[in-house]
Amino acid sequence: MNYQKSIGAIALAALLWATVGTVQAFDEAKYPDWKGQWRRGDAGGPRYDPSKPLNAQQAPLTEEYKAIYAASIADQNAGGQGNDPTYTCVPPGMPRIMSIYDPLEIVITPSTTHMFMQHIHDSRRIFTDDRPWPTDFEPTFAGYSIGKWIDTDGDGRYDVLEVETRDLKGPRAYDGLGLPLHRDDKTIIKERLYTDKANPNIIINEITTIDSALTRPWTATKKYRRVATNDKAVWPESVCAEGNQHVEIAGQNYFLGADGLLMPTRKNQSPPDLKHFK
Amino acid sequence: MLCLRSIAATAFALVASVATLQAFDSTKYPDLSGQWLGVRLPVGGQPAFDPTKAWGRAQQAPLTPEYQKVLEASLEDQKNGGQGNWHPGDSCLPPGMPAMMTLFQPMEVIVLPETTYIRIDHTHESLRRIYTDGRDWPKEPIEPTFVGYSIGKWIDEDGDGKFDVLEVETRHLKGPRPLDPAGMPTHVDNQSIVKERIFYSKTDPKILQNEITLIDNAFTRPWTVLKSYRRHPEKYSEWQENVCASENVLVKIGKETYFKGADGNLMPTRKGQPGPDFKYFQQVSK
Repeated sequence: MNYQKSIGAIALAALLWATVGTVQAFDEAKYPDWKGQWRRGDAGGPRYDPSKPLNAQQAPLTEEYKAIYAASIADQNAGGQGNDPTYTCVPPGMPRIMSIYDPLEIVITPSTTHMFMQHIHDSRRIFTDDRPWPTDFEPTFAGYSIGKWIDTDGDGRYDVLEVETRDLKGPRAYDGLGLPLHRDDKTIIKERLYTDKANPNIIINEITTIDSALTRPWTATKKYRRVATNDKAVWPESVCAEGNQHVEIAGQNYFLGADGLLMPTRKNQSPPDLKHFK
Repeated sequence: MLCLRSIAATAFALVASVATLQAFDSTKYPDLSGQWLGVRLPVGGQPAFDPTKAWGRAQQAPLTPEYQKVLEASLEDQKNGGQGNWHPGDSCLPPGMPAMMTLFQPMEVIVLPETTYIRIDHTHESLRRIYTDGRDWPKEPIEPTFVGYSIGKWIDEDGDGKFDVLEVETRHLKGPRPLDPAGMPTHVDNQSIVKERIFYSKTDPKILQNEITLIDNAFTRPWTVLKSYRRHPEKYSEWQENVCASENVLVKIGKETYFKGADGNLMPTRKGQPGPDFKYFQQVSK
């Protein structure tokens, strides 16, 4: 009888251990399998709305910002960089980051979902620990992101990550043509990320940008495609400063030649003012 | 009796089943969550490779005579207003391994079974992937990087069923990778091998320690140092962006480094410094 009681006690202890273990350990099985290396899943170059060409995004810009966009394109046509701040290795920031210029790795932990992308300082932390919005956060190009995992079909596993991003700094543009965001940097970005039901190697990101340069919230749907598992993935290092030949001096863009000396980027461009040299 | 045996069998089967489903038992690993800051000892100067000694010559680095001259030239250039051998200064290049582990900016460590990630945003967004999935060194040639290719192994030293040491070896590095802001050099052949042992201090369990050994042809012997990191006390630590390109006031033109003044125009970094050569411009500067 004592022997039987012992077996029962051991069994109970084992059950309890299992329960405690479940509470303490990170149960990866509750989250979608987003391991591996992801790349842009839409054809063509990086842009905010992949359903439209880069030069025909039809962004609902205010009249003021339509003029800024037109000026950016005109400047680029004249050899300048227009409204695209990334040429001197300034990060693209949100929401442009999510056009994925370099391969993406998503690392999920209970408290944070990390999005690792090299490019120019593009990585993000999405906090999923139920924290409140900070009251004194220094704005950043990637912004401050709070997310929530949702089990939409009630099967006990999370299938959607909802994210809101605020506290952004600028200058930021949506794309390489310099499609502008408002200078007030009050942008709010909302995202819904989930696995494509028809293809586990596709993540869909429904992204909505709310910005003072827009007449209404602007929504686009992006796709990311898994191209390698973790054991096969090769992660290139992208160091923008290395080999970048563009230099900005007093608001003007110059080029560094092979000998490291300044060169003009447009016809008849003047060299920098040397008034501080005697 | 049979009933009890059935209960026991069912319970153990459940345990086995749960254990199978739990791909990652985080309780087996040390808790490295949070924000880590480098512990600075009052030794003077800027943070250096050996934290127990001041930077520059005071590091007493076992440099070869050739690379001692490289350090001296760096110090001389810095005395004259230049950046010397410290490239994160005017070129915004990442410090790379092992200098990045001095923690010029805060560190985050993310432990998963296959990989331990170390993210430090200093100059560049530097991310180390330390592979702990039992892989071997790549047989195919791989592109060298500033952070290198790192393979790690978790070790349970005291046999209590929990890992307490992460041993890491890093190879396949590129340069230039000075060790500190004085411009302490590593060899231009970039054949460095960096070995690390990362563990909690036995005397102060709040301190994370990193015993780093650098094997590099600029040195006459392997150079071992012990770095200490402390956890930021705030629950929700702020992770600042450190974007060299948008904050850097230095610009390198030719072989000279200049300041960008408050008005954005170029300024000299040393007395008597001439302005840049504008030979590619048709117009004469003002």
